Amino acid sequence: MIGTLTNNLARFIILVLLQVFLLDHVDLANGWVVPYLYLLFLLMLPLDLPLWAGLILGFGTGMVMDLFSSTPGLHATACTVMMYGRALMLRALAPREGYDQQDRATITRMGLAWFVTYAGILILLHHLALFFLEVYRFNGALVTLARAFASTLATLLLCLLTQLLISRQARPR
Amino acid sequence: MRDLFRFLLRQRDNLLFLLLLVLGLSMLIRGNMHQRAEWVSTSNAVTGRVFAFRSGIMAYTGLRESNIALNEALARERERSHAVIERRDTGAVRMDTIRHLRYRYRTAMVINSTTHKAKNYITLDKGTLDGVERNMGVIGTNGIVGVVREASAHFASVISVLNEDHVASAQVKNTGHFGLLRWDTRDPRTVSLTDIDKHVPVAVGDTVVTRGSEGVYPPGILVGVIGAVTEDPSTPFHLITVRLSEDLTRADHVQVVSDLMKAERDSLEMSTPKE
Repeated sequence: MIGTLTNNLARFIILVLLQVFLLDHVDLANGWVVPYLYLLFLLMLPLDLPLWAGLILGFGTGMVMDLFSSTPGLHATACTVMMYGRALMLRALAPREGYDQQDRATITRMGLAWFVTYAGILILLHHLALFFLEVYRFNGALVTLARAFASTLATLLLCLLTQLLISRQARPR
Repeated sequence: MRDLFRFLLRQRDNLLFLLLLVLGLSMLIRGNMHQRAEWVSTSNAVTGRVFAFRSGIMAYTGLRESNIALNEALARERERSHAVIERRDTGAVRMDTIRHLRYRYRTAMVINSTTHKAKNYITLDKGTLDGVERNMGVIGTNGIVGVVREASAHFASVISVLNEDHVASAQVKNTGHFGLLRWDTRDPRTVSLTDIDKHVPVAVGDTVVTRGSEGVYPPGILVGVIGAVTEDPSTPFHLITVRLSEDLTRADHVQVVSDLMKAERDSLEMSTPKE
């Protein structure tokens, strides 16, 4: 229990710092692609986390990102939407016997196919909400849609790489 | 009553979701309407400190380029001072350095900036204690950078030229015709110059400078050169794309300009009756 808490806290701090210090300044393909790796913190929260706690954590994490990018409510809203979707997603992707006590939302535990489906759809949901709320109007919807998809690929790829990097260290001795 | 409580308890997750959604959206809409939100801003003391720490590290990687740019600026300044002395020697221009001081330049460092969002902002390391106030223009070594949106004691948040909300009037230098600069290109290297009539002869390579009509930027500050002119039969105006002379993806040393006669000018314009 304490281990889970410190793990998640460390993940939160590291991912948010990485996002604010480094990734927010990455400017791929003329600003078309923005990877939001901090979502990995929300994706890797414990599977048995109650929905209300997930929603509050999502909103809070989004607010922290908003504070650093002066976009009041933008990330908070997108993250809240994603965390609601996460609950539905977890239910839809649950194994027949339900989740195990040791199950965690990682590639090593749940398999690559499970994680890509889970993370891919949720990241897309978040990015669609984020990019459409950011431009705040629906003309140029195709461009916004294309940006959301391109960024989803970048975020997902970074999430996969990060997970592979972490899991190799955390593999039981 | 008990049913109500039971309902609330059963639906608490969905209700919480709706509550947070409404909260987030209302912040978003309010932030967009006022184009500023005092409490969540990069001029905030906490985030300002974090960004200052980051830029303290990043500043080292750009020292070489900064020094070159500073040297160039110094060289230009020297040229200008020579020119003044020569003109003064002929007796044609009286240099009254106190009364003729119209614009005040304060130096500042960019400690955070974005260039790839729909609305980009820049954070500076100087605030009201150093005389930085709202609506002052920000100029880099090579051209315009943005307008101060909000200033706290030690930091200032600037609306970048690369922001849909940034509008400034500019003119083509050699003909004097003016229009509005808008960032609708979504490209951090270019802006659009709108409202210039088709009968005006403009050519690729023409210099575009600020007009200074809002009292934000002084007149004659370099914006960039015309990169492309396209003709759309549906409008009476040229569609002009201006290549910015200042590279906003790397601007670090900037100057904040204040118009010392802005208050006088504003009160005059306010008291003049408009149709």
